[in-house]
Amino acid sequence: MTAVAVTGLGLVTAAGIGAQATWAGVCAGRSAARRDPNLAGLAVDFSCTVPGFDPALHVGTRSRLIHDRFVQLALTAAREAVADAGHDPAGWDGARVGVVIGCGLGGVATWERQQRAMTENGPGSVSALLIPMLVPNMVAGNIAIDLKATGPNLVTATACASGATALGIARDLLLADRCDIVLAGGSEAGVSPLIVTGFAQMGALSRRTDDPAAASRPFDAGRDGFVIGEGSAVLVLEREPDARARGAHIRARFAGYGASADAHHLTAPDPQGTGVIKATYDALRDAGLAPEDIDHVNAHGTSTPLNDEIEANALGVLFGAGPAVTSTKGVLGHALGAAGAIEAALSVLTLQHSTVPPTANLEHQDPKIDLDVVAGAPRHGRLKAAVSNSFGFGGQNAVLVFAAT
Amino acid sequence: MTNSYDALVDLLVHRFDVDPAKITPEATFEDLDIDSLFMVELLLVVQAELGVEIPDEAATPRDTIAKAAELIGAQLAASAS
Repeated sequence: MTAVAVTGLGLVTAAGIGAQATWAGVCAGRSAARRDPNLAGLAVDFSCTVPGFDPALHVGTRSRLIHDRFVQLALTAAREAVADAGHDPAGWDGARVGVVIGCGLGGVATWERQQRAMTENGPGSVSALLIPMLVPNMVAGNIAIDLKATGPNLVTATACASGATALGIARDLLLADRCDIVLAGGSEAGVSPLIVTGFAQMGALSRRTDDPAAASRPFDAGRDGFVIGEGSAVLVLEREPDARARGAHIRARFAGYGASADAHHLTAPDPQGTGVIKATYDALRDAGLAPEDIDHVNAHGTSTPLNDEIEANALGVLFGAGPAVTSTKGVLGHALGAAGAIEAALSVLTLQHSTVPPTANLEHQDPKIDLDVVAGAPRHGRLKAAVSNSFGFGGQNAVLVFAAT
Repeated sequence: MTNSYDALVDLLVHRFDVDPAKITPEATFEDLDIDSLFMVELLLVVQAELGVEIPDEAATPRDTIAKAAELIGAQLAASAS
């Protein structure tokens, strides 16, 4: 089968603005979680937000008027990715450029502000720009406008798997020859009082309010929930022969994709991991690889007691204790619908640099978790192929396979 | 007209991030990148901030700032009398 190449990356995360800043941050292995003034007084008052993001500077003068933050982060990542790939939107055949972006929530901060305005000052105070700012598909629509990409354009919503699902769908669009280039990724800016409270009320978030930087600790025995994050990642995908023909730098091959639904519970993962195992086998078959070919896993690894244990069991069934596993959520927190795309980009960088970033805060690995989890410092060594896992509330699973060039 | 013109310029600059150097009485909203959607939003803001109701169809992006200011001024005068 024709392979798909990753030729460009753009990242905006709690570790910084740009792929370089994010990669340096995850390799340093220090959590980006800190107290969040916007959450003051709430039961969970810390988060992993993007530091120093200025819409006027990073997007444009009037961005604050027309874009919710989830769109601003994505526009920034998309422009970086396209420039990194060496494409010039002024010159490309936009009709052959698709955009597929994962997003779990949409413009929730806008929604909350406008609801408050309506409650306090009446319907006349509601903005005419409310709808174009909050609906989730606007993230892909705005990228199309910004970069003159007039091919297939959509947003995927599979909760915390949205970004990974977007990449899988983008790959299908390329292999079906519906596009020559797809800008694929995810974006989320859901750190708002209502959303954080919602996750806190369901018991999903860490309550380590006395030490936010130690709160996200995937696979650690002391983990007690995830830390909410935000961010965006966009990857430029092209068919490998096309990328080679134009002399592009291929960062990695996007070799396979598998997806499934647990059909088990609203929020809890299937304890047998049946859906995850099926999606992984499908992704491996798509890639033409066997489980023993996988030497790295960028785990979903949310730092919730349930996810990490069940995911570890599934990885054990699939791969034994072979691959070097990491969860970059230790550093970045959980960026929800963007997480799958951010971790896909980090998997690409891991293969490219032959370096597995450490899992932050992993001090005492849960004895129930029998995996080779990288902790403390990055681990260097040649890697052939990596799996990136993403699972969403609703039981949606998306598994991506990347291979070194 | 002066008061309503200044008030409108103030809204365009501070609420719609329009470059003050580009605003003249003869400039149209289109010249200032105020499209039809922004026009609707502007009229909502005018209503909220200045207490003046201008129907959507009374002002278009092709109108000049002076014309819109005149409309606002006339409404303000009518509501004051």
